[in-house]
Amino acid sequence: MTKRLRTSLALVLVLALAAGFAGVAGCTPAKTATPAAPAVATPVKGGTLNFYIGEPAVIDPIDGQESEGIQVINQVFDSLVDFDPLTSKIKPAVAESWKPNADATVWTFKLKKGTKFHNGRVVVAGDFKYAWERIALGSNASTISYHLAPVKGFDEMQAGTATELSGVKAIDDNTLEVTLQYPFADFEYVVGHPALAPVPKEEVEKDSKAFLEKPIGNGPFMMTEPWTHQQGIKLAAFKDYYGDKSFVDGVNFKIYKDDEAAFTDYKQGNLDFATIATGQIKATVKQYGESPDGYTMNPGKQVILGSELSTYYIWINTQDATTKNADLRKAMASAINAQAICDVVYEGTRVPASGPIPAGIVGYQKNAWPNNSYDVARAKQLLTKAGFPGGAGLPEIELAFNVGRGHEKVMQLIQADLAAVGIKVKLNGQPWETYSSEWLKVKDGKFANSDTHQLMRLGWLADYPIMDNFLYPMFNSKSGDNKSLYVNPDVDAMLKTARETTDAAKRVKLYQDVEKKIGEDQPLIALVNYRHVRVGSDRLHDLVFSPMGLAALDKAWLSKAAK
Amino acid sequence: MLKYIVRRVLQMVPVFLGVTILLFVLTVVIPGDPIAMRMGERNMTDAQRASIRKALGLDKPLYQQYGDYLVRLSKGDLGESSRARRPVLSIFADLYPNTIRLALAAIVIEIIIGIGAGIISAIKRYSFMDVLVTLSTSILVSLPVFWLGLMMQLLFGIKFKEWGLPYLPVVNMTSDQFPPWAHMIMPSIVLASVSTAYVARIMRSQLLEVMNQDYIRTAQAKGLSPSAVIWKHGLKNAMIPVVTFIGLDLGAMMSGAILTETVFNWPGIGYMVYQSILQRDWPVVMGGVIIIVFVVMIINLLVDISYAFLDPRIRYGAESS
Amino acid sequence: MKPDISEAVPDPGDHHPDGATRASESTLTAEASSRTLLSDALRRLRRNKLAIVALVWIAIMVAVAVTADLWVPQTLGDPIKIDTTKVVGLSLNPPSLAHPFGRDDLGRDILSRVIYGARVSLAVGVIATAISVMLGLIMGALAAYYGGLADSFVMRLTDVFLAFPYILFAIALMAVLGRGFLNIFIAIGLLGWPTIARVFRSSILQVKENEYVDAARALGAGDLRIMTRHILPNAVAPIIVYATMSIGGAILTEAALSFLGMGILPPTPAWGLMLAEGRGFIYNAPHLMIFPGLAILTTVLGFVLLGDGLRDALDVKMKD
Repeated sequence: MTKRLRTSLALVLVLALAAGFAGVAGCTPAKTATPAAPAVATPVKGGTLNFYIGEPAVIDPIDGQESEGIQVINQVFDSLVDFDPLTSKIKPAVAESWKPNADATVWTFKLKKGTKFHNGRVVVAGDFKYAWERIALGSNASTISYHLAPVKGFDEMQAGTATELSGVKAIDDNTLEVTLQYPFADFEYVVGHPALAPVPKEEVEKDSKAFLEKPIGNGPFMMTEPWTHQQGIKLAAFKDYYGDKSFVDGVNFKIYKDDEAAFTDYKQGNLDFATIATGQIKATVKQYGESPDGYTMNPGKQVILGSELSTYYIWINTQDATTKNADLRKAMASAINAQAICDVVYEGTRVPASGPIPAGIVGYQKNAWPNNSYDVARAKQLLTKAGFPGGAGLPEIELAFNVGRGHEKVMQLIQADLAAVGIKVKLNGQPWETYSSEWLKVKDGKFANSDTHQLMRLGWLADYPIMDNFLYPMFNSKSGDNKSLYVNPDVDAMLKTARETTDAAKRVKLYQDVEKKIGEDQPLIALVNYRHVRVGSDRLHDLVFSPMGLAALDKAWLSKAAK
Repeated sequence: MLKYIVRRVLQMVPVFLGVTILLFVLTVVIPGDPIAMRMGERNMTDAQRASIRKALGLDKPLYQQYGDYLVRLSKGDLGESSRARRPVLSIFADLYPNTIRLALAAIVIEIIIGIGAGIISAIKRYSFMDVLVTLSTSILVSLPVFWLGLMMQLLFGIKFKEWGLPYLPVVNMTSDQFPPWAHMIMPSIVLASVSTAYVARIMRSQLLEVMNQDYIRTAQAKGLSPSAVIWKHGLKNAMIPVVTFIGLDLGAMMSGAILTETVFNWPGIGYMVYQSILQRDWPVVMGGVIIIVFVVMIINLLVDISYAFLDPRIRYGAESS
Repeated sequence: MKPDISEAVPDPGDHHPDGATRASESTLTAEASSRTLLSDALRRLRRNKLAIVALVWIAIMVAVAVTADLWVPQTLGDPIKIDTTKVVGLSLNPPSLAHPFGRDDLGRDILSRVIYGARVSLAVGVIATAISVMLGLIMGALAAYYGGLADSFVMRLTDVFLAFPYILFAIALMAVLGRGFLNIFIAIGLLGWPTIARVFRSSILQVKENEYVDAARALGAGDLRIMTRHILPNAVAPIIVYATMSIGGAILTEAALSFLGMGILPPTPAWGLMLAEGRGFIYNAPHLMIFPGLAILTTVLGFVLLGDGLRDALDVKMKD
């Protein structure tokens, strides 16, 4: 018996290997029939939704910064206001109404009565004050404290000279008054950030470590067990939620190391929501159908490709000896074939950008920047104007980027385009972690570790759906997020005026003017606007994934006819 | 014997210290600021930064930081992740069982397939099976493991499902479709692939060597059947290096399997340390490697001791050199 | 006979990224004992058909890689250049007669990239191994020849290096040095020396006992002369075998690092990088993953089989 067993085992090993080659070499993309959508889509209650995320850094709102943690926080916590997942319009959440004073420095929020935390206690205005102070307190080193920077008393909290956020007052249990350091007409959008939600003081003080692993919030879903790191986070519907009850019994956030692993698991039927791996978009659309509005998933229309409120671009260092030449910057912007990038790397699912502000933001201008489009003739002309006809005399320029998610490919295409007009570019890829915080670190108007950076890839995702959220941090000369080291006193002044303008229509106009003005200097090359590349399962109905990348899981439901 | 064990344990101390020094040096020379990393793209004020540095003890001179670390280490305190705000010990306490589970499954495969294939090819030397084993073991050691893993996922997980055949789970430790044990099949085969090939090769060469020894020939001359000779005399002696290898391999697998973990989304320790290097989360990197090195050293010690027990011919030769 | 149990055991994880242990050292030290005539060895090697096939295969690879500039871009296409105005039509073209391995997502010929990738992989294998061997020889010689404190120090240092998880060490070194072609040589090279040092040290210790070394010393030969004239030639066999196998290991390590995004930078065509870039296309254009994978497999296999052949050829025990 043993002898035969051993032989067959060895055989299996070898045959498996041989089959591996044969099978792979001979395969063609198989077309599985798309399951027909049910004729009548009446929501059914029940089921657990399996949702793909990467391992979050933290799921306590105190560090609600990166996309993965925010996804969970958004389900477990509710802030003062919320955004409509389809239109991005502001709408009430815990606050039922709010209004600013005449110059937008004092904001009064009226809270809904009787909304509850998952531990059963009623949410009061003081819970917001406590949560915000927890974030603002310097020694807590919150990664999202910058959201509260406009609030009076914030600087003192950061410096450690105050333990109270003087600008935030709980007038009574249902009234929250916020005083700002300077006029900020868009502040109502800021408080819609999921991480600025109320936090129950008694739970944090009982055991802050436990709170970190199993936060207790006031959102539509509650955590039933602590986070299983690297594996998953389990949520159940919160029975006493003040809003509409969710259809699903629970959400299972399954944690994956990368999009590819998650997509493979999706293909096998283990996920209701996944990111489509690079290179698989067209095939996936063909197999599972595209959602007509780009944001709502339904059986047979499972792929969403709607625009995100974000832009993919290349910063140009405006202080570097070579790239401080504005005509050279414009020449580079004209030489890049963004359409080819969209077609090849994003399989036609993204669109070339012509300015920093993406479509979907109120005030978006098509063709905002005149030189930010592909035109080889214009590129050559500008290059000559810059003093480098055909690239003669131009030193090699370095293009830095973070590796993964297809960036290598985009950079290689850019390298080829620039080479075609005579601009030689050297690529320098870095892991995201070092790239984002070390390489691009700007301090006092200079790069902290080196002054040689010339071209740098980056993307910007809206924290709140307003123009200010792009223009102010990216182009204000004092901002650390201004990686082109762009200094233009006119732009600084215009941005300040815009922030102080309470009339919404006027404000948008002012921001539009600033955007145009910045375009004259081309401190960055806008490449493409991001789009969602997500796919849902064939049993998932009515899941809306917002332009800001947040899922409205409380409105989604699952067909009973599961496998 | 006791003297030997004591000496081996004492020998581990400088190595262990050396590892901590090497680790500490690496954390200093690797460019990247853990505080900046934690803040992601956002900037912070100098005051904010200084207060965090102070809270983490990063404002002290390097030798003092190292000294402090050793003191804390001696108390069993590995510190707290600078990114996740969690104790390093609990991070690894969560993940180590997953690494051990995968390693044990891989070891079982090594033992069954590796030893089996080795014996077959030694007994039937120069036969078709022997050539097949030799070739396939050579191929297995030459394959990039992540490539093997991805190809197996494509074939046994996705294509088999499309073709309507029984298929295997592709990633993770659990799912709604499969029992947990099924999730271990592909990752453990991939993890075991290289070592299984080595086990087969060592088994084969050891068995061939032992079978050439005089006492086996004597046994054969006495009229014992070939299989009895192999089972009673050959295998036992040939097994020693194989067992040693498997023991050490178990130790090596205890340091995690970054590539297998990445491809199969297995929540093990290797990927955790790798990610922490990228994120400059030094407490996790240092704590993780220290735990790994400690575990590997203990296993290696156990292997050495049992090796000495198994082979009485060896009188702890190490003592002479 | 196993000389020393701490050395009779293989080095953990060496060159095998995922924890697999390497068996070479145990077999090497055991066979490092005696002198072999070169002609004897060559004759035995020539009889080993697999090793000869491997040698021929490696020779072909080297020849193709070296002469690539003369014919590859002209016939198959440039391995790096992209024409963004035509890329849409060329992207992911399946294998055809003119382009037997097909094209990648950026429209480049994959065979051309595989050929140029051979330059990278062979260079990484050979140069990283050369660095390891140089370092290993120096450290091993220091340890064995001077003994005492120097020996203890070097041996503990090898312990420290071998105790450190291999691939994590490689990643950490790449993090120190930064991504890039030259840094790969250094990182992989720096990691390989402890095994060589140990093999070399034990070879020397065995040779040192021989009478002719004493005789040479009596005749007034200096340290360096004894080392180069008498000891090195006798310890060289196991080093050659180990180095040959190491080349394959270094190629695999480079592939693993590139796969993890810690290796060579694009647009350089390197096999590991091609696998990493092709991963997303595994379902609709598997040729992006299959051919670079096969290139790695066959090349490493070549060095493994050649190493096997060399070991058998240089092993006196196989004579009877």
